[in-house]
Amino acid sequence: MTKSSVGKLAVLLAIAAGIAYWFWPASPERIIKKQLMEVAKLASFGPSEAPLAKLSNSQKLTLHFANELEILIDVPGRAHQQVFHSHDELLQAAMGARSTLGSLQVEFLDINVTVGPDKTTAVADLTARIFISGDKDFIIQEIKISLRKIEGEWLIYRLETVKTLS
Amino acid sequence: MLPTYQDHRVNFVNMLAYRYSEPKRGDVVTIKLAGPSVMFMKRIVGLPGETIAFHRGHAIINGEPLNEPYVKNPCDWEIPPRTLGADEYYFVGDNRSMPEYDHTKGVAPRARIAGKVLL
Repeated sequence: MTKSSVGKLAVLLAIAAGIAYWFWPASPERIIKKQLMEVAKLASFGPSEAPLAKLSNSQKLTLHFANELEILIDVPGRAHQQVFHSHDELLQAAMGARSTLGSLQVEFLDINVTVGPDKTTAVADLTARIFISGDKDFIIQEIKISLRKIEGEWLIYRLETVKTLS
Repeated sequence: MLPTYQDHRVNFVNMLAYRYSEPKRGDVVTIKLAGPSVMFMKRIVGLPGETIAFHRGHAIINGEPLNEPYVKNPCDWEIPPRTLGADEYYFVGDNRSMPEYDHTKGVAPRARIAGKVLL
């Protein structure tokens, strides 16, 4: 085999691998991680977010949650035991944050996803880093998120803050 | 961890410190959250099996006050006694000037300890 034919074969193999990667169905872990990054993005907002965008992004955020949901937030020194049970409550909280805070940046770090043996439930453990405009320091909080596959979509049905030090 | 360690400074951590030895009281360690991207920096004050409480902001171990020369800011924390499990440590920061509820402190298993902070 000549050098040029080896080169052509290598290029063809690289292209085939690229195509296979592109069309290969993504794993549930990858899908969930991508979705959680989207949740963090929708929870975040800048100081110049337009009024319509505020409503639209808040509504889009709720679409990542199941209709029957439970959100339990307890961040010492920041948020004392807040509980949300419905899309409406979540929407109000998201809109409320947008009206009272100048800006909010949410990052999800170290996302560990464990898919259940039935492949229809999953649990994600992550660290949230939250920047609020005007604050000197960011908030660090470990979070546990439970998801369920409903009609082909992974939806969050429970989100709770974790006490790293209990 | 004020005043021992200042905010927004770079600190070095020996991640192998506890590979062949056990964490000791007084060690300043990093504590893992969901992963290695962000960690807490705290001091170990309680060891497995000990009973820990706080009186006027100072740690009381098995009923005896702990000598804590690193605590410079007095406070009024009052925390009732609590006995640690066989694999549990009690972590607290040196800055006791803030309200007790706002201070991140408490119990975690050994597996949460990522390494020892180097001076």
